[in-house]
Amino acid sequence: MTDVKSEDTNKKTGWSRRDVLKATSAGAAAGATPMFFTQNAWAEEAIGNYPVKGSEVVLGFNVPQTGAYADEGADELRAYKLAVKHLNNGGGMLDTLKPSKLTGNGILGKKVTYVTGDTQTNADASRTSARRMIERDKVIMVTGGSSSGIAIAQQYLCNELGIIFMCGLTHSNDTTGKDKQRYGFRHFFNAHMTGKALSPVLSKEYGKDRRAFHLTADYSWGHTQQESMQEFTEKEGWSTAGNIMTPLKTTDFSQYLSQVLNSDADVLILNHYGANMVNSLTNAVNFGMRDMQKNGKNLEIVVPLYSRLMAKGAGSANIDGVLGTSGWNWALQDEGSQVFVKTFTDEYGFPPSQAAHTCYVQTLLYANACEMAGTFYPPEVIKALEDFKFTGAGNGETLYRGSDHQCIKDILVMQGKSPSARTSEFDYLKIVDEVDAATVDYDPAIFGGELGPYIPA
Amino acid sequence: MDMTLNAFTLSILTGLQLGSIYVLIALGLTLIFGTLGVVNFAHGALYLIAIYLAVSINNALGFGLALIIVPPVLFIIGVLLERGLIQRFYDRPHTDQILVTFGLAIVLQEFLKWVFGANNIPFTIPAWGNGIIFMHEYLPFLEGFVVYPKWRMILVVVAIVTVSAVFALLHLTRFGLVIRAGMRDAEMLQFLGVNINRRFMVVFGLGAMIAGIAGVFGGPVTQVSPEVGMQLLVPSFLIVVIGGMGSLGGAVLAGILIGMAQSFTAPYIYINTIIIYLITVIILLVRPRGLLGAKGVFE
Repeated sequence: MTDVKSEDTNKKTGWSRRDVLKATSAGAAAGATPMFFTQNAWAEEAIGNYPVKGSEVVLGFNVPQTGAYADEGADELRAYKLAVKHLNNGGGMLDTLKPSKLTGNGILGKKVTYVTGDTQTNADASRTSARRMIERDKVIMVTGGSSSGIAIAQQYLCNELGIIFMCGLTHSNDTTGKDKQRYGFRHFFNAHMTGKALSPVLSKEYGKDRRAFHLTADYSWGHTQQESMQEFTEKEGWSTAGNIMTPLKTTDFSQYLSQVLNSDADVLILNHYGANMVNSLTNAVNFGMRDMQKNGKNLEIVVPLYSRLMAKGAGSANIDGVLGTSGWNWALQDEGSQVFVKTFTDEYGFPPSQAAHTCYVQTLLYANACEMAGTFYPPEVIKALEDFKFTGAGNGETLYRGSDHQCIKDILVMQGKSPSARTSEFDYLKIVDEVDAATVDYDPAIFGGELGPYIPA
Repeated sequence: MDMTLNAFTLSILTGLQLGSIYVLIALGLTLIFGTLGVVNFAHGALYLIAIYLAVSINNALGFGLALIIVPPVLFIIGVLLERGLIQRFYDRPHTDQILVTFGLAIVLQEFLKWVFGANNIPFTIPAWGNGIIFMHEYLPFLEGFVVYPKWRMILVVVAIVTVSAVFALLHLTRFGLVIRAGMRDAEMLQFLGVNINRRFMVVFGLGAMIAGIAGVFGGPVTQVSPEVGMQLLVPSFLIVVIGGMGSLGGAVLAGILIGMAQSFTAPYIYINTIIIYLITVIILLVRPRGLLGAKGVFE
């Protein structure tokens, strides 16, 4: 009765305590409205796994844990875990990346967690794994991969589902060329940049009157690598004797090397990566090609895309003097590289590979873009990444080019070290030249493709 | 690409060398199938064990010890495998045999990857086998300078010796006589008081041992990485089918044929990748039992 009475009394006055509270909160919300709408006009719209609910944000690391690139994948995963550690607790490149809004307190105040998947270096398996992460684990971003075919497959899927895909190791021109997507970003360099950086060094070392024979891995990356190497070596005055596409699973290249021996080529360009390159190079050495003369010149072998793991697989006696390019190397002396090498080595006991570097940087760049945008809302994060200029990540001043989502940065021309020149068990390659970003830059229009809309259809 | 005499010779040598490795693997496969009636999809994994053992011993203790240790070890592994697993599947359908041996192959492959990593392990060729042979010094019809890796020629010789030894064992010894009789009619042989099971165990061990020999000499050619076993298994199995299930002569013939076909189609990638299947289809259409297949086997 008392309650009813008091209700009646309040009705007379018109304001209850509850009404006052409601009015106050409504007033506060209304007062904040202009800010709310200018910064978060998109807040109501769900894209992919946005909005992120709860106090944690989940990232998806989809790397090859089995298959030919499993060693690269393992190193990528180490780098991702280190990136998560640094994002949550500070340290590493958080201290060198500029400009940076990263605080070491997760992303936008949310603790970073992750799930992992296995791409198996297989397009179907990588898509299944990425889809599982997106649909079951509710990841806000997917990253990883060690093959262009896989990167492109995941990029299309993520674009469709409104999830940002930060490419791992992918070097095909197509990734940010004809197959580029609004939701896909590549920090690693590409085949075109390799051709541009490497060819002048090759003509300086081996002369302008050379005839090259290409053996090429028969998939997206191999094809674009071969085209780029042929284009730029021919610009240096070289001619091309032939090109054979070799199946990705080839382990014995003797049938193709016999064709090289039959030709009048005096340079063999191996457009192979990972285990493929290890096998083709070892086979070529067995065929005596490193001690052979053709056209009165020493027969030379070139490996356009190099990695420490490949050099280790081939053995230093076989790669001694062989030229190629890398995106990054642990021997670099800049502040960003040094801090990354130190924290990685402290954590795992050995220095990181270029695959680890690009994956680590990609994770930090994504996190930083979220902080800059002030939201996980993908279109705003994409805009923050587009045309973002930064330093302190190991490749000099770098531009995340907005028109094709390709990082334009310095790349390295590398040469295999002889067994006697090595200073440690991780020391296989020496840096011959650091080719600056302006030299390897190119017009993105040459590869065609469309990024598509910010809001997926 | 026009084919000069030099190019032709190089392609023949490459075909022989590719064929040799196929023959060595298919020989064990067909021997086991012919005698035991078991389709052993784990045979590629036995080769994988052999190359990893060989590269480990070779790089640490030298090639001589690898050659002495690896084939007998593979023989023992083969015997253990037969006693522990395969013999339980003799009376089961071929599909069960395929499933269990294929599963075993995957387990072994992943185990080796776990222990040694997914990357290639460089196999150092011993000094006496390293380098190249100047083919033009031995073959006067060649013009100018034609070379071929010495190790690959050694592999061809090893394949010839191994095939001859297996043929001799089966056709010139009492053991071989019993085995061949067992292939025809195992039941009758048991009625006659012959312990055919023990001999079958030895045959499985022999098949594994040939994979061991293939691994020691083939490792530097096929390279040492976890995928190699599966990659060789499919062509080798097709070679057994093309040659005629259980026929040793057929396996040798088919192995060389496939090696040559791959070598000569190398410049034409799209034919090169399908040539082995193309040949399989054509031969099975013309001769459903394979080149030298016997009536009643696997039918």
